[in-house]
Amino acid sequence: MSLRPKVLVTKIGLDGHDRGSRIVAAHLRDAGMEVVYTPPWQEIAAVVKLAQEEDVDVIGISSLATDHLIVPRLMHALRDAGLAEVGVIVGGIVPDEDERALLDAGVARVFHPGSSLDDIAAFVRDLAARVRSARFPA
Amino acid sequence: MNKPLPDPVPASLDEARVRWAAEYAAQLPQDRETRNRSGIPVKPLYTPLDADPSRYDEALGFPGEPPYTRGIYATMHRGRTWTQRQLIGLGTPRDYNARLLDILDKGATAVSLIPCNSVYRGYDMDEVYPELLGTCGVVVNTADQMDTCLDRVDLATTSCAMNDPLPFTLLAFMLATAKRRGVDWRDISGTSNQSDYISHFVANHMFFRIALPGSRRVLTDHVAWCNAHAPRWNPVSVVGQHMQQAGATPAEAMAFTLSTAIQYAEDCIAAGMSPDAFLPRFTFFFDISISFFEEIAKFRAGRRIWARVTRERFGARDPRSWRFKFHAQTSGVDLTRQQPLNNIARVTAQAMAGIFGGLQSLHTDAYDEVLSCPTQFGARIAVATQNILREEAHLTDVIDPLGGSYYVEALTDGMEERILATMADVEAQGGMYAAVRSGYVQKRIGESARAFQAKVERGEQTIVGVNKYVVDEDASARPALPKPDPSLMRSHLAGFARWKAERSRDDVDRALSALARAAQADGANTFGAVVDAAVAGCTHGEICATLRRELGFGQPLVVV
Amino acid sequence: MKRDLPRGDDAAAAARLAAIRAGDRGAVARAITAVENGHADAAALLAALEGDLGRAHVVGITGPPGAGKSTLIAALVGECTRRGRRVAVVAVDPSSPLSGGAVLGDRIRMSEVAAAEGVFVRSVASRGHAGGLASATRGIVDLMDAAGFDPVIVETVGAGQSEVAIAALADTSVVVTPPGLGDDVQAIKAGILEIADVLVVSKGDSPLASATVRDLKDMLRLRARRGAWTVPVVLTAATRGEGVAELLDVAARHAEACGRGRRLAGAVQPPGPHDAAARVATLARQDAFLRHCALELLDAGPGRATLAMTVGAEHLNFNGTCHGGAIFALADSAFGLASNSHGPVAAGIEAHVSYHAAARPGDRLVARAEEVSRNARLATYRIDVTRGDVRVASFGGTVYIAARRHAPREAATPAAGARVPGPSS
Repeated sequence: MSLRPKVLVTKIGLDGHDRGSRIVAAHLRDAGMEVVYTPPWQEIAAVVKLAQEEDVDVIGISSLATDHLIVPRLMHALRDAGLAEVGVIVGGIVPDEDERALLDAGVARVFHPGSSLDDIAAFVRDLAARVRSARFPA
Repeated sequence: MNKPLPDPVPASLDEARVRWAAEYAAQLPQDRETRNRSGIPVKPLYTPLDADPSRYDEALGFPGEPPYTRGIYATMHRGRTWTQRQLIGLGTPRDYNARLLDILDKGATAVSLIPCNSVYRGYDMDEVYPELLGTCGVVVNTADQMDTCLDRVDLATTSCAMNDPLPFTLLAFMLATAKRRGVDWRDISGTSNQSDYISHFVANHMFFRIALPGSRRVLTDHVAWCNAHAPRWNPVSVVGQHMQQAGATPAEAMAFTLSTAIQYAEDCIAAGMSPDAFLPRFTFFFDISISFFEEIAKFRAGRRIWARVTRERFGARDPRSWRFKFHAQTSGVDLTRQQPLNNIARVTAQAMAGIFGGLQSLHTDAYDEVLSCPTQFGARIAVATQNILREEAHLTDVIDPLGGSYYVEALTDGMEERILATMADVEAQGGMYAAVRSGYVQKRIGESARAFQAKVERGEQTIVGVNKYVVDEDASARPALPKPDPSLMRSHLAGFARWKAERSRDDVDRALSALARAAQADGANTFGAVVDAAVAGCTHGEICATLRRELGFGQPLVVV
Repeated sequence: MKRDLPRGDDAAAAARLAAIRAGDRGAVARAITAVENGHADAAALLAALEGDLGRAHVVGITGPPGAGKSTLIAALVGECTRRGRRVAVVAVDPSSPLSGGAVLGDRIRMSEVAAAEGVFVRSVASRGHAGGLASATRGIVDLMDAAGFDPVIVETVGAGQSEVAIAALADTSVVVTPPGLGDDVQAIKAGILEIADVLVVSKGDSPLASATVRDLKDMLRLRARRGAWTVPVVLTAATRGEGVAELLDVAARHAEACGRGRRLAGAVQPPGPHDAAARVATLARQDAFLRHCALELLDAGPGRATLAMTVGAEHLNFNGTCHGGAIFALADSAFGLASNSHGPVAAGIEAHVSYHAAARPGDRLVARAEEVSRNARLATYRIDVTRGDVRVASFGGTVYIAARRHAPREAATPAAGARVPGPSS
C-alpha cells in the first residue's frame, strides 16, 4: 500500500475568506493526498488537537487578513504538544517582513498569491516525506 | 432616436458580412474559440445583424425610464457623478479619524468605515489575540469610540457607509452619537453595507454571529426599524461582491445577488411591509473584475432584470422601487503581488467598466491592497484614479456611452439570459434561503472558482507577472506596510478597560436583558433593542453575545 | 514506502500499550496510522489489546450523502460530552477514484464539539482498497475501545459496497434518512434497511419529516422482526438538538438488549480453499438456472468464483448483440457462488451492473467474482465480465448472511475464538 501524505488545511484567527483554502484542498486531493478540511476560525488549541488525532504530516494555514500574525503561537503550541516535527506552511497575503518572522518561528514555507498549485503540491509532498523520515528514522 | 437603424437590414449588408467572414477565415484559419468568464461565447465581430432595433424601447429605453438598461437616472453621471467612496479603516478610532479627514480633504465625498476583523466576528477588543487588533480595520466597540471615529464629520449631511453586519451595532453606535450631538435620526443617511447575511454564509465567512434563521429575523427587523425611524438610511445592501470574490462567475454573482434580493423582499412582505415601503431603500454592492465588457453587460442586464422583478413579481408602483442602485468595488482578486504597481492599470480598467456599467458609487482598490491593508500612499492613488477618469478622461460626458454598441448590446442580452437561467436554478431549489441551506450555491461557486483557477494554471487566462511576462523582482522595492502602533493599541485597550469599569453596570444589564427579551418575543423588534443597548453603554461584544445566545451561533456553511 | 511504527524493545512496546490503554491521544493516533497503513506491527499490537476489547458501545451511523449524518454525529458527540462520556468517532470518506486522494470533510460540522477534551475524531479515506477498509476500520474501532472511549461512533457514506460492511462492525446500526425519500426508499429497502437497528429521520423541522416516519414504520411492519428487538424510528432535528438525547437513549437500550462487542464474536476463520472450491462445485451442480444457461464453472475458492458463457443465437437482442439480461445472469451467478462459498447461506439483497462493451455471437464471456468485504452479516462482491482483454461489464452486489449453513457439505470447524482481521484480498 503506497503512503499518501495526510494534510490538514485550515484557517486560524478571525478571517473567513476560504476561496484559497478550498482550491488548495481540492488540488491536493487531486494530487493524491488525503486532506482534512475544517471551517475557518479554528482555535489554536483545536488545531493542535486535530493534528494529533489525525496524525497529519503537514498543516497548511491560509491567511488573507493578517491572521498569519498568530502562526508563531501555533508553532509554540505544536512544540508543547510534542508535534514539533509536523510541517507547517502558510499561504495567502503575508508581507515580506512578516514572512521572515514566520520562517524564524519554524514555518517551512510561505506561499504568496499567484503561487502555482502544482508547486504547492510538490512542496507538500516533499515536506510530508521529510516529516515522516524525521518521525521514523530508518 | 433621430436615426433609427434601417429595418429590414438591406441584403447588401448580409453579403458584406459573408465576404468578411470568408476573408477572416482565410487569414485566421486557426481562430480560437473565446468565451468570457460567465461562459458566453464571444464572436470576433458584431454587426447590425446581431441587433433587433425594433426592441429598443422594450430592451433599452431612455435613462431614468424602465427598464433602465441605459441608467437609472435621467442625467446619470453628467448630472451627479458617482459617489467616491473609499473603504477605509485602520488602527484606533483616532487613527481612523485622521485618515478619514485626509481622504475627505482629497476629494472623497462620503464616509465609509471598515471595522477590525474582531468586530466582524462579534468580539470586543479584549476577547481576541492583541496582535490581530486593528490590522485590517478600525477597532470600534462602543458609542464613545464611534464618536471619536466621526469627530468633525457632520452626520446630518455626510452619507456614511458602514461595513456593519447584523446586528448592526456600528449603525447603533452612530445613532447614539447622533443623539448625543443633537442630530435628528431622520437626517442620517448612508448604507448598512454588510447586511446581506446570505452572502456571508455562502461566500465570505467573515461575519457570522447568529444562526441562519435568527439572521433572517434580525435583518427583517432592521428594515422595519429603519423605515420607521431613519428613513434616509439604506438598511439592505445585497452583496454580489462576496460571491464573485469567492469564485462565482460575473453572471452567477449577479444571479445569486438578485435571487438574494428577492428572498429579502419576500421576507419583508411576509413581515407585513409593502414593497414600495422598503424597495426604494434596497441597494446592491458588486465586484468589478477586469473582464471589461462582461462587467459592463453584467450591470446593464442586472438593471433590466431588477426593473422587471420589482414590477412584475412584487407589483411595486413607485419608480424608486424599480431602480437598481449599486455601489461597486474594483476586484481585489485580480490584483497581483507580483509587480504591484501593475495593479494601478488593472484598477483603472476595472473602474472604467464599472463607470460604463452605470454605477452610483465606486471604491477603487489601492494597488498595494494585495500585499496587506493599503498604505496612505496607495489609497491616494486610488482616489486620484477616480478623479482622472472623471475629469481628465471625460468619461462622464455622455450617458451610457457604450449603449448601441453591437457587441455590448448582444452581450447584455447574453448575460441576461445566463443570469435568468441561474436564477431559475435557485428558484427550483426553493429560493435563495433554501439553496444556501442545502449547500447548492456554495457548490456552484466552488466549482466556478476551481474552473477559473484551472484556466490560469493552464495559461489560458493570462495574468501579467504571474503566468506570463514574469520578471525577477527586488522585494525590497515593495512599499513598507502600515501596522498599527502597538503602543497606541495598548493604550486603546487600557482605555477600553477603564471605560468599562466606570460605566453604569445597571444600565448595561437592563439593556442587555431587554435585548434578550426582544429576541425571545416574536413581535418585538430586535434592532430597536440593539439601538437602546448602544445608547445605554453596552459594548459591541456584549450585544453580539446576547443575540448569539438567544438566536444561536452561526456556523459557516462550508461545502467541499 | 510505509509509515512505520517506532520499533523498540519490549519495554517500549509495553509503554506504548499502556499509553493506548490510558487513552493517550498521541499514542492512539499513531497506532491508528499503523493499522490504517496495514503495517506488520499493527497485527501484533491489536492482538496484545484483545483482552481490552468489548467495553465500548459501537454505534454505526450510515445513510445516503446529504442525510445529515455529520450534523447528527456532532449533536450526539455534544450530548455524550454533556453526559460526561469519552466519545470517539471514526468518519469514513470516499477517496477519489482518479487520484486516490480525498478531502475528509466530516470535521466541518463537528468543529465545535471536536475540540472538547474527551472527544477523539479520526477521519479515514476509503482508499478503494478491496476488503481492507473494513478490517482497517475494525482495527481503529478496537483501538478506540481499548483506549476507553465509549461510545465509539462509526460514520460511513451510502449503501452497498464496503460501507455496509463497516456499518455492520457496530453493535447498534443507525440508518439515517432525510425526509421525503422518494426513490431512496427503494435503495434503503434493498440495502441498508436490512442492517438498521434504529432508523433516524433527520431534518425533523422539514414538513415532510413526519410522513417519512410513517412510511418507514409501515415498511418495518412488513418485515420480519429480528429477535426481541423492535426497530424504532426516531425523528431528529440535530441543528436544534431535538431527538438527539432520545436517540442516544434508544441506542443504549439496544445495546442492553443485544449486547456489546458484536464484532468480536461474529468473525469466523475462512475455510480452506479446497473446501470452498468443493462447496461451490456442489452448489453449481444443484443450480437449475446455471444448467439452463449453460454456464461453465472454471474456478472457485473462498469468496471467489469464475464462470464462463459462450454467446449463442439465443442470447441476442434486436441489435444482434448479447442481451444485457444474459450478461447479468452470468455475473449474478458468479456473485451467488462466490458469496455462498464460505458455508453460511447468503442471499443477495442488492446488485447493480454497468455495461462497457457489446458482446457478439461466438464471444466467450468470463465472469470473475471477488469478495470486497465480508463480516458476520453482510458481504459485498465485485464481478468483472470480460471478453479476452476487453471488459464487457462490471457488476457489484451485496448479500445478507443467514445464520443457517448449506446442507450439502459443512466446512471444517473454524478454530474457536480465532480473530480474523478481515478477508484476504
